[in-house]
Amino acid sequence: MIFNSLEFSIFFLVFFLLYWFIFNSNVKIQNLLLLISSYFFYAWWDWRFLFLIVGSSVLNYILGILIERTSNLKYRRMLVYTGLLQGIGGLAYFKYFNFFITSFNEVFQSLDINGNLQTLNIIIPLGISFFTFRTISYVLDIDSGKIKATRDWIVFFNYISFFPTLISGPIDKAKSFIPQLKKQRVFNYDQAIDGMRQILWGLFKKIVIADNCAAITNPIFNNYQELPGSSLLLGAFIYTIQIYADFSGYSDMAIGFSRLIGFNVTKNFDYPFFAQNIADFWRKWHISLTAWMTEYVFTPFSFLFRDLGKIGLILAILINFTIIGIWHGANWTYVLFGFIHGLYFIPLVLSGKLNKKKIIAKDTLFPSYRETLNVLGTFTLVMLTMVLFRANTIGHAFYYFNGLFSKSLFSVPDIPSAKFMTLITFLFIVLMFIIEWIGRKQEHAIANISLKWNTPMRWVFYYALILSVFWFGGQEQQFIYLQF
Amino acid sequence: MEKNEIVEKLRNIFISILEHDNFEMKNELSANDVEGWDSLTHMIIITTIEKQFGVKFKLREINKLGNLGNLIELVSLKIE
Repeated sequence: MIFNSLEFSIFFLVFFLLYWFIFNSNVKIQNLLLLISSYFFYAWWDWRFLFLIVGSSVLNYILGILIERTSNLKYRRMLVYTGLLQGIGGLAYFKYFNFFITSFNEVFQSLDINGNLQTLNIIIPLGISFFTFRTISYVLDIDSGKIKATRDWIVFFNYISFFPTLISGPIDKAKSFIPQLKKQRVFNYDQAIDGMRQILWGLFKKIVIADNCAAITNPIFNNYQELPGSSLLLGAFIYTIQIYADFSGYSDMAIGFSRLIGFNVTKNFDYPFFAQNIADFWRKWHISLTAWMTEYVFTPFSFLFRDLGKIGLILAILINFTIIGIWHGANWTYVLFGFIHGLYFIPLVLSGKLNKKKIIAKDTLFPSYRETLNVLGTFTLVMLTMVLFRANTIGHAFYYFNGLFSKSLFSVPDIPSAKFMTLITFLFIVLMFIIEWIGRKQEHAIANISLKWNTPMRWVFYYALILSVFWFGGQEQQFIYLQF
Repeated sequence: MEKNEIVEKLRNIFISILEHDNFEMKNELSANDVEGWDSLTHMIIITTIEKQFGVKFKLREINKLGNLGNLIELVSLKIE
């Protein structure tokens, strides 16, 4: 039941009506309906997933209360570690167990040791990386006194399984989300309309941009051995845009659906392709993940290494980004993806430019020459790592680069996808960037459209987006981030 | 050390790292109110405070800091 499916449309419509018109009398009833609906939504994928999410909700709910109550430091530590162990252990088992086994087997083989460990047939519960990060932050925040443990179990269970953000984020902090669950939601027309606008923009990015990009990148990445370097460059370029349109489109929809039912969910993207260096990029890309990582991984490590000066900072950044890489999945390609991003920070740390925030084209329509160069340079650095992100193995990525950086880089690209749709896709990509550029200072790209455009213009624009979704929508593709 | 002295010393540290003085040294001041005060500068500010005041913080203490008032309290507690 992905957002752009008929099932979800029906589900959401029924939910919306029940939520605002029948179960709207008080917050308890609203929350109960929300919880049942979230579990229904989740069970639709696979009912067996429910065991883990309910189990970890029960455990962390109880841990939260116990941690807050106790004054015995040792006991408290034990409780916190229990929460961490359950969260990280769950991830390790469901996501990484087979990866560890196959990696061990490879080591054994290379050492000529006869030991072939068996892998298990494990299904990965959808959204596990996202909801586990919620439970971990909840326990750690109670321990450090940042939040109070909630006594209302329905509120807590809702926080872990809130369906708009359950399977792919954004990862909300308890501090900002639990208070919203405790208050009765009242229908707000402006907020709902803006939510719909954001959903529409997200749909456009997902269906028109990302799914059409997939039609270009899939044949390139599947046949990279036979294609010239120029085609591979094009593949890497389009894939970088695809993954952005896919995930930011998904995030826009998740935030939009949340707004329709009265919740403000944290922002996940802030126009990352207008970033002027890698640090700036990561402040704008998958913000809820990097904010989480900064708080619970980067900060403790940089604190631990603080006497080492810049070396300490670099170490903390490398650890942080390697974990960000692994978070995406059990594959060495992701590990390397994260590690390289960590390396990208080193020149910034050494030159002391790390925390110099630069706002692009602050009071002008166009960026300066310098800013444009920075933007293109940052995009290129990101693009190179996206080959790793897309590749199945490190070897695959290596041969892809090998083919890319060859003499054929300067030949006319051979595009294996249909010519007409490829051209249309290019036009839509340009259009997307123009609209995002104009809207770059807003919460989402078309947030302020009602202030700037008159009603007929606005409706022409909305219809154009809707029609493009129906006419030019690419073949349905799974959301890339659903696997994480 | 008097409270005023601590505040003044902190102010100078903030200015030297953030490279601006667009903030008011009131108890309620939090990192979110100050331009350029993010996770990275925060760590640099904390280590500079440690060095200049000759104190050592614990991660738990840093995590609990909510605003400038807490920080002043923590520093005065440590140098006592």
